[in-house]
Amino acid sequence: MIDFVLSKKQAMLKEGINNLGRYVIRPMSLQMDRAHDVPEPFMRNFMTMAKSFRGSGGALTEFDDSEGAEVKPRDPNKPSEVNRTAAVGAEELAWADAAMLLCMPGPGLGGPPVRGTGTPEQRKRFFGMFNGMDTGPLRWGAYGLTEPGAGSDVAGIRTSCRKDGKHWVLNGRKCYITNGGRAVWTVIFATVDPSLGRAGHRAFVVEKGTPGFEVGKIEEKMGLRANETAELVLEDCRVPEENLLGGEEAYVSKEGGFMTAMKTFDNTRPLVGAMAVGIGRASYEYARDFVKENYVMSRPIPRYAAIAEKLAKMGRRLEAARSLVYRATYMADMSMPNAKEASMAKAAAGQAAIAACIDAIEICGAHGTLATEHALLEKWFRDIKVYDIFEGTGNIQRVVISKRIMPGLKAF
Amino acid sequence: MIDFEPSEDQRLMQDSVATFAKATLGPRAREFERLRAVPEDVRKLAHEMGLGLIAIPESAGGSGLGLTTAVLLEEELGSADAGAAFGLSGPGSFGGAVVELAPDQAAALLADFAGADGYARFGAVAFSEPKANKERAGFTTVAVKEGDGYVITGKKSFVTNAGLADRFLVFAQVDVDKGWGGLGAFVIHRDNPGLKVLARHDTLGLDAGNFGEIALEGAKVEASARLAGAMSEADFTRATLRFFAKQALIVAARAVGLSRYAYEIAREYCETRKAFGKPIGHFQAVAFALSDRLMDVESSRWLVWKAAHAWDAGMPEKEAIKATAQAGAFALEAAMRTADECVGLHGGGGFIRDLIAEKLMRDAKQLALSCLTAEQLDQIAAAIDLGVALDPALVLPTPETQAIFT
Repeated sequence: MIDFVLSKKQAMLKEGINNLGRYVIRPMSLQMDRAHDVPEPFMRNFMTMAKSFRGSGGALTEFDDSEGAEVKPRDPNKPSEVNRTAAVGAEELAWADAAMLLCMPGPGLGGPPVRGTGTPEQRKRFFGMFNGMDTGPLRWGAYGLTEPGAGSDVAGIRTSCRKDGKHWVLNGRKCYITNGGRAVWTVIFATVDPSLGRAGHRAFVVEKGTPGFEVGKIEEKMGLRANETAELVLEDCRVPEENLLGGEEAYVSKEGGFMTAMKTFDNTRPLVGAMAVGIGRASYEYARDFVKENYVMSRPIPRYAAIAEKLAKMGRRLEAARSLVYRATYMADMSMPNAKEASMAKAAAGQAAIAACIDAIEICGAHGTLATEHALLEKWFRDIKVYDIFEGTGNIQRVVISKRIMPGLKAF
Repeated sequence: MIDFEPSEDQRLMQDSVATFAKATLGPRAREFERLRAVPEDVRKLAHEMGLGLIAIPESAGGSGLGLTTAVLLEEELGSADAGAAFGLSGPGSFGGAVVELAPDQAAALLADFAGADGYARFGAVAFSEPKANKERAGFTTVAVKEGDGYVITGKKSFVTNAGLADRFLVFAQVDVDKGWGGLGAFVIHRDNPGLKVLARHDTLGLDAGNFGEIALEGAKVEASARLAGAMSEADFTRATLRFFAKQALIVAARAVGLSRYAYEIAREYCETRKAFGKPIGHFQAVAFALSDRLMDVESSRWLVWKAAHAWDAGMPEKEAIKATAQAGAFALEAAMRTADECVGLHGGGGFIRDLIAEKLMRDAKQLALSCLTAEQLDQIAAAIDLGVALDPALVLPTPETQAIFT
């Protein structure tokens, strides 16, 4: 039955995060932005909370998938809602603070390839590292695909790998890696031979401390400054063969490695879209409240109509993007192929949210540009732009969509 | 729970309307355009399927299937010929208006639409006027109390089904000193000696629809012809807004259908048309444009569904109106973008009437003015979000702003 009302559990999750965001996270948002970090006590508290949600039915599993347990077989008559619920949670957390969300301990973007391609032994070993964070040190995973010379053109990565005895030797540089400096392991994509294109790709789990694996520059960014973005350097880095993700057999099919890189995105792109909607909504709500509070709306004020229209357009564009996010996550929950819909959700959400953040500042005038704990518009404006860049730029989303609507189109 | 799956019943109805639309409406769209009407044989088929009465409550003689079902079916009509959707018989906006303004009288006013000869029956709402009143706020058309009834004088424009309807709901100024708050709504039958149907409008698009003007030359009606006369100004405004919002949602669903149609034929053309040695759809500029339009088609559909569901699920009225305003404004603009792109991607051929693309573009613009406009819907959404009073001058489609077809 067609329905757009959140389930009780989702509504509770949303309300819980909303309160936390309003009273705890946002008041320290700017401070985290300036300190380039999230305070550890907060992260620990947050994880405890996330766990209680998980205990109540898996609401936050996308963010805290630490145990790597085998997925329980589902009752086919009762499809999972996990992707839809994750979208609800992601939007609300990003509404609170998007950088904080990216800083949360756990495997992060490294989770999906390990879960999807890793052998049972690898899943146990690598996810197992996130056990015991209740009392022990916090841990992160990371995903190393982009290189200085290969961003959107993933097939063009140059980081090399060659087998040497029981090890693989990796050489190259990875850049813009979220949590790359602090990660206990990073899924590194490399190639046995660049001339093979996608067929030459291999994915490795490279552990922190492996000789020849160093953290390079930590980037200074426009936004999401509380979150670490690192360069990773691999110099004759010897990775044990048991860290080749999925083992040799995973690469028998020609594009095994490439598909590992890409499959990650079908699940994560709608969530990135949801986060973008969350930031856009934050800006929208701020501008709306600013107008309510500061504009004299007793008629007639000719300029009121222009402002009202701007607000309405921001609102409906975000709503349209959210509908695509829900659609893509619904399809994921129903086990329907959703690569096209995932890309549509991400592309539309990135653009709608950027437009909302820009227009919100415009509506608030000079006030909109000030950085204070109570007015985060300028921060959201800085944070949002990358949502149309990471996890595939807007143009790359359109490449994904194009290939699925144009039969026979293999590449442009 | 967020769910995108229509019910089994909805799916069956959607399939049968889709078949009717594809087999009967689509192939004959140019014929309807030439005739400037939907001929009787087609109206009979649609009437047998109950298409005119889907969302009218059962208590008022309709099918009572709700707006969610209605938008699913309207999209199918729009995906074959949005013009035909306006030319089919039934109470049309008249039905929606009386259901909101006078639910107790709706059954009596709509009774004969379900009958065997319903395919020949049309209703109409006369709201807009040829010109905004410069002397005072409010309509130039006035209803003056006389004896037990009213005498109505004025001229109404942009009336859908003007030349076909046997009954009209005419909005007129009852209290000329009260501005847009002084309105009344009156049922006037075509055989009223004071009602004259004037010339039909020659319109940009939706040619199968019958749009025209009527004149009221001292049309006398009984007091009972006034609907919702006992309602407070605020309630009357709200009921009228509700009527316009739901009607706008029906138009939005047709717009989604039109967008889908435009996208599909554009995509197909780009797959087959070759230039520079390959299908033009294999060039990024073309494929990306199609990708953006697909986002338009899908997101406008989900917004329309969401709004329809909000009404059917009995969500707070302001939420439903806001969802409708967002869906309507988005879908109307998306249809225009998609139809425009469709013509453009066809190149010169898009401009020639041998292809349907040019008709879709004209229809898309006409649709944008066939109920509340995107601008009016945006003002309504903003007013609700900002907590501004839903003043009739702000939320009703007055001729002071943009005149609309009703």
